[in-house]
Amino acid sequence: MLLSIFRVLTYILGIAGSALLLPLAVALVDSDRRMALVFLIPLLAVWIVAIAFWFAVRKRPKVFDVKSAFGVVGLIWIVICAYGSIPLYFSGAFPSFSDAIFESVSGFTTTGASVLQEVETLPRSVNLWRCETHWLGGMGVIALAVALIPLLGIGGFRLIKAETTGPDKEKLTSFIANTAKSLWLIYVMLTVSQMLLLHFAGLGWVDSLAHAFSTMGTGGFSTRNASVGAFGLPAVEWICTIFMLLASVNFALYYRLFTGRLREVAGDSELRALIIVVLSSIAVVTLLEYNASTPFSQTFRNVAFQTSSIVSTTGFMTADYTRWCPPAQVVILLLFFIGGCSGSTAGGVKVIRWTILAKEIGNEMHRIVHPHQVFTLRINGKPGHESLIPVVASFILTYFILVLATTFAGAIAGLDVFTALSAAASMVGNIGPAFGQLGPTANYGSLSTALKWWYCFAMLAGRLEIYTLLIMIARGYQSMYTRSLPRTRTGT
Amino acid sequence: MTIFVIGAGFTGMQLAKMLVLERNKVVLIDNDAEKVRHASDALDCTVIEADGNSIDVLEQAGIASANAFVALTGDDEVNMIACQIVDSAYPDILKIARVRNYAYYSAVDSASRRKRTSSKDTVRAMYGMDAMVNPDVEAASAIHRAVEYGAVGNIIDLKNDFMLTTLSVGSDSVLVGRCMRELPGIDGWNFLVAFAEPETGALIPRGDTVINPGDTLGVVSQTADVAQVAQFADATHETFRRIVIFGADRVGSMLIPLIAEKRRSTLWQMIFGGKFPESSREVIVVDRNAVRCHEIAEKHPNVRVLCGDITDEALMSEEDLYSCDLIVAASGNYELNLVTAAYMKSKGANKAVALTASTAYGAVARKLGIDVAVPMRGTVVDSILSHLRGRNVSAIHSVCNRSFEIVEGDISDKSRFAGKKLRDLVELDGEFLLLLATDSNGVTAIPNGDSALEAGSHVVLIVRSGNTDLLAKICGK
Repeated sequence: MLLSIFRVLTYILGIAGSALLLPLAVALVDSDRRMALVFLIPLLAVWIVAIAFWFAVRKRPKVFDVKSAFGVVGLIWIVICAYGSIPLYFSGAFPSFSDAIFESVSGFTTTGASVLQEVETLPRSVNLWRCETHWLGGMGVIALAVALIPLLGIGGFRLIKAETTGPDKEKLTSFIANTAKSLWLIYVMLTVSQMLLLHFAGLGWVDSLAHAFSTMGTGGFSTRNASVGAFGLPAVEWICTIFMLLASVNFALYYRLFTGRLREVAGDSELRALIIVVLSSIAVVTLLEYNASTPFSQTFRNVAFQTSSIVSTTGFMTADYTRWCPPAQVVILLLFFIGGCSGSTAGGVKVIRWTILAKEIGNEMHRIVHPHQVFTLRINGKPGHESLIPVVASFILTYFILVLATTFAGAIAGLDVFTALSAAASMVGNIGPAFGQLGPTANYGSLSTALKWWYCFAMLAGRLEIYTLLIMIARGYQSMYTRSLPRTRTGT
Repeated sequence: MTIFVIGAGFTGMQLAKMLVLERNKVVLIDNDAEKVRHASDALDCTVIEADGNSIDVLEQAGIASANAFVALTGDDEVNMIACQIVDSAYPDILKIARVRNYAYYSAVDSASRRKRTSSKDTVRAMYGMDAMVNPDVEAASAIHRAVEYGAVGNIIDLKNDFMLTTLSVGSDSVLVGRCMRELPGIDGWNFLVAFAEPETGALIPRGDTVINPGDTLGVVSQTADVAQVAQFADATHETFRRIVIFGADRVGSMLIPLIAEKRRSTLWQMIFGGKFPESSREVIVVDRNAVRCHEIAEKHPNVRVLCGDITDEALMSEEDLYSCDLIVAASGNYELNLVTAAYMKSKGANKAVALTASTAYGAVARKLGIDVAVPMRGTVVDSILSHLRGRNVSAIHSVCNRSFEIVEGDISDKSRFAGKKLRDLVELDGEFLLLLATDSNGVTAIPNGDSALEAGSHVVLIVRSGNTDLLAKICGK
């Protein structure tokens, strides 16, 4: 059993580690020998371990206990985050190992909360790696591993289920490896198109790629201190707005779009709800923020960008929403709790859960008036989703308990209540910026080490939709507990 | 003819009785000793206690010389397999099965339609069945027809855009007191009375038959004129906005998609939801089975499903069901249907349609004030009989509690009357009335004495039940 876990772990690390090739290449182009070594050594180390392990155990049968899939996924994510922090720490840009860990977790969980005030002085390769962690974490490293090597076999879908977001997961094709391949292919295509568009809009290649990684993973790291706003190019802002929204849509819908099932896409309840949420909040905030001193096009662009950035849980910024009027700020705060679609790279509660809950509330009201009428819950026009109601309700409850616990942790560490609450929502929702002391122009570097570690846990829990991590902890506790008990034999 | 009937249930017995009356040799097979004893007492035919799906049993009973095989057991699968067993050894025998499962029914139906349209021999009807009868589908479409034409009475579709409406004459009707000969003189009357059913018993009207209030008339008219016919007979004809369907089992669940309008959604609606032009008709389904209610609610988002008993006063007043325009009682409990429909009508429902066990309930239903009583099993025997009547007969509809048959058929070139005029038919014995005839140009009309009967033309006539000789003479063997 332990062997199987290690096997999976080393393979996935080997694949994730290969992603270091990209910043390595940039470091070589910049002929920055020190940075090249920083990326090359962890890369070689993980390759050697993976290949050695493959040689050692390649003849052993692939047994995989499906029960421990959740535990394995949690473990893989923790190890990947730790691994990702190694080049960050040795680059010398981060004052402590805790800071490097925070940055790496914030990267892989697509949060985008940075401990650094100054990122423009970092080597280009480090900035690219920060953004690339968003991209890997967005679609999921396990999905990538399943897409590239058929190592997980039958348990693959369980692993991917523990990693992807949403209450109701489906396979697009009969083979899970094909599903993972299709999703990653769509992801790569969207990323490449955004990179090309950004380049044509006037950005350098590395900046384009970094921002495409960051956008498609709905992360939020940027190569500039002032984020996307630093470029001052409206075209770049619009491209990012559109791609942030595209990344917060369920990727299964793109698959349907490519296979010509347009009606299914148009009839998707979650997509409809997302469109309504985005359009209405843009309209409301634009109305609230518009005044004669700034041109309408600029207000509209800023509001559209900022709203999309929060609803997609990216966390880019072009304007400081903490300076907006209070009602507009409340709209933004509400968006903190909505999130993108299930099966996207976005975080948060997810639109589909709110949709299910809203429909159930509507049914409940009708049920009071018509006690004998039979009601069904239709999602995407199809009935039979009643069993999801308790699942969704308990998820949302757990989500808010985690947010409150994180708020409490922030308050203990000395943050004011509003900052602590918004930062908690931001961490669990994988957004990045918050309000108050941790607004979009501030950073997380000044926080206490203990709080940073708690935030790491909150970000991971939010990315893996809480249960995956909770189950791992609960199982760990349970196995320790049962091991300490004397075994009783039952005779037959 | 020698006809094998498997299954001596209600329908099997009814069919056997009809066939015996028409002097056919009937072999009735059932494996239930009690049913066999009852059948052999009641019917003048061979009754065998055995399994009808055993080829040995069938061969001993003389299936080799049979003309037709009808499977009417309570089990769809047994019926279908029995047909297959007979088909494998005797492919020339006409095989008919009763199949109630709609999935089977639609599958075989499409297969046989392909067989008819395809020129290749490779397409074969499933299980060798020549015909399949589904009493539920037929009952549901009969109810649907009645509802679509304002629930004025039972409506029989005679094809080619003509219908036969059965409706009772109100006391304020312009028809009251007139005899048949005077009817064409009434302004706007261009219909034909196929049969009349006064208190004294059903009859095919003659020129001097007088219409009294309360009589039931069968009127042939064009489809578009049903409302006009209703007006003449002083029966109110209306469109329904609020329909309550009681019972969602076999017939009821088939009825819902027919009655409830489909809501068509545009791409805009699909994206932004919203309730744009809603269907103008509200359909409420009431059933006491919670599981069935749930299935219906999942399948038909455009109807309201209430789970509860129709006799529950609280439910009825809570949902204000008494104020509905139409109650359709279509549950599997036929007696309850009658009571429900009558009760709802007395409480304020405008019109009531009830599904009943057989045509025998028609008179009772009328007395209870139920507008339309659709018989359940009559349709099965009719469709089986139409298959047994030979190739010139395409459909049979029994009316007046099986006293008369409306027969749709074609005049074959072997008929003595091919090419003759209608008035030449006078020499024939027996009661009959030619209702419709299609001329060589394909125009269907109510015929008069000068109408010619051409070989190959389609005719509809009413004859006394079982008068097969007359039918054979007119249409030809």
